[in-house]
Amino acid sequence: MTNPGSDPFAGRTHKHTEWLRSGFQYWPRADGPPPALGDRRWTSDLILANWMQSEGVHPSGLEHRRGDSGGGFDALELKVLPQRDWVPETEEIDTTLQLNRRTSEPRIEIPIPWYGAGMSYGSVSEQIMLARAMAAERWNTFTSTGEGGYPDSLIPYQRHVITQIATGLFGVREETIQRTRIVEFKYAQGAKPGLGGHLLGDKTTLPVARMRESPPWVSLFSPFPFHSVYSVEDHRKHVDWIKTVNPAALVVVKVSTPTDIDMVAVGSYYAGANILQIDGSYGGTGAAPEIAKKNIAMPVEFAIPKVHRYLQEEGVRDEIVVLASGGLRTAHDMAKAIALGADGAVLGTAELVALGCTRCGNCERGRGCPFGLTTTDPELSLLVDPSWGAERISNLYGSMKSELEDILRKLGLSKVTELRGRTDLLRYIR
Amino acid sequence: MSKSRTAIARQIIRARKQTVGLIDPREFTRKAAAEGGCGVIGIASSMQIEGRHLLQSLMQMRNRGNGKGGGAALAGLEPVAFGVDSSTLSEDYLIAVAYLDLAARPDVERQFIIPKFEIDHTHEFPLRGELEPRPPKVVAYFARPKSGALAEFKKTSGLSGLGAEELEDEFVYQNSYKLNRSFYAALGDTRAFVLSHGKDLLVLKLVGFGDDVFRVYGLEDMKAHIWIGHHRYPTKGRVWHPGGAHPFVGLNEALVHNGDFANYTSVCSYLAQHNIRPQFLTDTEVSALVFDLHHRTFGYPLEYVIETLAPTTERDFAMLPEEKRRTYGQLQASHIHGSPDGPWFFLLAQSLRNGAGPREVRLIGITDTSMLRPQVFALQQGEAGQPSIGFAASEKQAIDAALQSLSESDGRFWTHPDLIWNARGGSHTDGGAFQFKVMRGPDGQAELHCRDKFGRQIEIEEVSTPYRGEIRISRAAGSAQDDRFDQVRDDLHSWSYADLQGNLSGLLNGEHNRRDQLTLIGLLLDRRVDTGQMRRSSVLSILDQALATWIQAVKEDANSQFTYHAHGLALPEPSEPRPAVVLDATGFPAQGPHSLALEMGSLVDRGFRDIVVMNVRGQRFIANGLGADTGDIRIDVFGSSGDYLASGIDGAQVIVHGSGQDQLAQIMKNGKLVVHGDVGQTFMYGAKGGEAYVLGHAAGRPLINAVGNPRVVINGSCLDYLAESFMAGDPLADGGFVVLNGISFDGRGRLIDLETPYPGGNLFSLASGGAIFLRDPNRAVGADQLNGGEFSEMSSDHWELVRPLLEENERLFGIPVSRLLTHEGGPAAPEFVYRLIIPAGHEALQPEQAWIRH
Repeated sequence: MTNPGSDPFAGRTHKHTEWLRSGFQYWPRADGPPPALGDRRWTSDLILANWMQSEGVHPSGLEHRRGDSGGGFDALELKVLPQRDWVPETEEIDTTLQLNRRTSEPRIEIPIPWYGAGMSYGSVSEQIMLARAMAAERWNTFTSTGEGGYPDSLIPYQRHVITQIATGLFGVREETIQRTRIVEFKYAQGAKPGLGGHLLGDKTTLPVARMRESPPWVSLFSPFPFHSVYSVEDHRKHVDWIKTVNPAALVVVKVSTPTDIDMVAVGSYYAGANILQIDGSYGGTGAAPEIAKKNIAMPVEFAIPKVHRYLQEEGVRDEIVVLASGGLRTAHDMAKAIALGADGAVLGTAELVALGCTRCGNCERGRGCPFGLTTTDPELSLLVDPSWGAERISNLYGSMKSELEDILRKLGLSKVTELRGRTDLLRYIR
Repeated sequence: MSKSRTAIARQIIRARKQTVGLIDPREFTRKAAAEGGCGVIGIASSMQIEGRHLLQSLMQMRNRGNGKGGGAALAGLEPVAFGVDSSTLSEDYLIAVAYLDLAARPDVERQFIIPKFEIDHTHEFPLRGELEPRPPKVVAYFARPKSGALAEFKKTSGLSGLGAEELEDEFVYQNSYKLNRSFYAALGDTRAFVLSHGKDLLVLKLVGFGDDVFRVYGLEDMKAHIWIGHHRYPTKGRVWHPGGAHPFVGLNEALVHNGDFANYTSVCSYLAQHNIRPQFLTDTEVSALVFDLHHRTFGYPLEYVIETLAPTTERDFAMLPEEKRRTYGQLQASHIHGSPDGPWFFLLAQSLRNGAGPREVRLIGITDTSMLRPQVFALQQGEAGQPSIGFAASEKQAIDAALQSLSESDGRFWTHPDLIWNARGGSHTDGGAFQFKVMRGPDGQAELHCRDKFGRQIEIEEVSTPYRGEIRISRAAGSAQDDRFDQVRDDLHSWSYADLQGNLSGLLNGEHNRRDQLTLIGLLLDRRVDTGQMRRSSVLSILDQALATWIQAVKEDANSQFTYHAHGLALPEPSEPRPAVVLDATGFPAQGPHSLALEMGSLVDRGFRDIVVMNVRGQRFIANGLGADTGDIRIDVFGSSGDYLASGIDGAQVIVHGSGQDQLAQIMKNGKLVVHGDVGQTFMYGAKGGEAYVLGHAAGRPLINAVGNPRVVINGSCLDYLAESFMAGDPLADGGFVVLNGISFDGRGRLIDLETPYPGGNLFSLASGGAIFLRDPNRAVGADQLNGGEFSEMSSDHWELVRPLLEENERLFGIPVSRLLTHEGGPAAPEFVYRLIIPAGHEALQPEQAWIRH
């Protein structure tokens, strides 16, 4: 893309975007829910609430805390204290998160305990990547490149862009490792553990192929696992490699939730990782195979406490940051994940919903996304203007932050770090 | 199995039932620890060698362990070290017991040693140095079963059909099981356990690094024919017990392992069906138990045992002779559930009866069918009456370090092996396994034989005399006859070792240009030329010495073109007339903030563009981190370079004067990599471009997931999975490709054609772009080896694409294009000699909808 702002299809996209955007205004306030919006996990209320938050409006009148899946985070509830025990409004709530808990430099602190998940160029458009990067900059947090390369248009935001290295090594070059403050190794995705990555031929457009240096219109598979990493000692070598190319970079290890995730966590710690991202199976766009989603590996709400306790027993819990991801939709979900033992969260789909995603599930096709999100089609991708998108994601972040503060206040906690591992503040609702 | 053998096996398995009891499969749903990767080195020598020669190797591989488990195995021991005679060493069981709790010793002896065995000798290992947690006290009992106890065992166990020694073996085996059961349970009470109990075989292990074992138990000065050293990298828990460290034993063998199984529970169930219960809950233990079951109880020959562990599959199975297919088919059908699902690499030390004489001891290395762990084998072969030595290790640099240590203390060894190779796991070619067997005669003479799984002997073709004297290369004596490589190359075959040393001394005498000196030494190291009466590996050792002399000269010579830099010196500045820097790698860590790689980066930051790095000892990441657009940088690497060399280079030229290891040129973007030897696993994984030239072979998975336009010449072959998921565009439109020449060199430096340029079953799998040019005039490679690729017509345009690379290949390696275009003694057309393989357009790779076509 030469200039994200230019619009060769201006006439054709204008009408489309106008209608789409007026929908964000209209539907949350309409009488009764819209037809066929969302699913049990992302209910229409959650989607509409997200849209309101993305406009900077409190989502009143909608069930904005929980979905209707009957399991996972929807089966958990936070135990709010009686009002007399709340942290008074006069007191500030601290939601900052230190991403480097080791003694080494550099320290990187983010004011909100989350950042944006890896979405590759190819799986989403460059406009979406830019919108996310701009929002990350505004909030002094991060977004991740995913594994489709590092578009030049993101370079102005490089202090807030994590370079992901995944098993296909697409678009990974030394300069992309050197310009970042955080390098993320993606070993697996919670939505499809053990399946590697897929970008179907329809989405491998000419610019995507150019970025990945592959032939166009061919399905691109990232293998599982790294062909150079078949053990923890190979993994350590992998981390040492990054520390050679960019000694100042923090290292994130993103893994799914196998039953031996505790061992993976400890192994990652000893290999030198600063952050462990535990990616559960509730996430994933429509491009992840249905048969895989939710059906492989352990539910993330089991994996988080398992890892948390294990790292505690090992005596290294306070030297590594654990982030939970995979279907975290709201501040409530994040708070629950933190209470289970995570330090923070990584958000994916929630940001796409902010930009209009209705969970229609047509993500794997080149021109399947009616909102211009999971596409690299030159026309469709113009439906999202990066600065408009950044505004919405920023608003969502702001709303989530105040919601998280509200939750902490009602739990009698003045710092988000105090919530970690407080499973006593959770109850099952069944 | 013969009928009588079947009956015996049944008896043994039944007899164990009483000892082991009913095994609940739920016992094994969870391992005690996940095994990570590990660092291993095994040595087999026809002459007993001291354990200290493994120390440097293990130190250099510490980055493959985490200090939570180290171990050693020895076989073919020296009787005097224990104060026994040689017949006691051969005839007595050497029961080594680790006492974690010294107070347990009287109990252990009262219950399991004294009533069961005649003790001929007891050896206590003094503990040296301090280590936390404290290593176990080890007591070695040289023991023979008491006749009464044995008779009682025979009666109660019902083992009537066993030979005398077989009965004793089983007696010892079950006694140790019970001892461990009483005094060691992996998750409970841990007071004492049996380290090993075979004859002329010893295992020692502790919580620490592998080299710690050698220091703590004083193995530096102990001698043995077979040695294994092992670093463990387990990932669970803070509390560690030496019982979990490797090696583990069956009876006559000790096994170490690098890797992790996916089917631990299934293998445990398989063992439970044979009344075997693991006691230490690790992958490695169950592997040792499966090996022992198949080898000792079933009586399978080694070849069959290897087949049950690493089954021959896919095309390799089809390529086996009919008779082997039948046998292997039956072995797989019976034992596949006991086959560990890799990644793994096993090293075993084994001690077996050999008539009445000293026991036959051997080192066995087995790689899994998918070849997912690093492994390299090597042999240095002495002529008749002189020692030979074999190696198997995780890294080539570890072998180099051991040979360096050996050569420094014993003039009969020199610093380079004669042969060095990778095993092709589960293959019809070598079976993925090699054994080094030491055959000892009664007169103390011993021979070393190396064989592959199928029993084919590995040896050098012409046994010339290696150089065993002190290498003397001065800077004054003698005068170079000529310093032009062409001349030297032609003369070399007529030189003696003295001539070579004399000429090198002359070359280095200071009147010559230092750059020219280095170039000539480099060429002599790199090129495969006829060395006449001299053995190539000895010539290489002499050249090493010449390099050392050269470095000394550069260090002292203020007028050379090179700046000298070494560990501990302040970073130099480039200055005229010294634009180049010689970096002595000695002392730099393999990784981390003070690593060799980062030091090289600092030199580049200072402005150096020509770096010669010397004395590399396994340091990783050389030429990494240089960043984008480094077209003006040239790096020459001498020594034993480590993993990830040249990863990510973007313009730089990197020349490796020797072999590379694993993961070379990962994500390489641009520039040029030249390797004057072999390369290891996942060569150029995810590469984007650049040129690479490899004189020898590549191991598994080269060029996997490569995109863009890498252009690569591999002159040898590769193990398997060449260019899987290759996505490098259209070669005729600036895309990438691989030229595979399928050639090698004989002992005289002459080019020979390999039997097939590609033995693997997977070539160009799921490739969607690029091409392979396969030099295969005999049409040895079949379409069944292509899984996603297809043979296509080679055009003159294609040849014009390949020709410049082959011309560069000729310039670099001296492999004439005309020789490559020779078939059956005469010239042949390039379009005939080379076969083009292109992507077949796999269905799985195609777009789903038609809309993209408009």
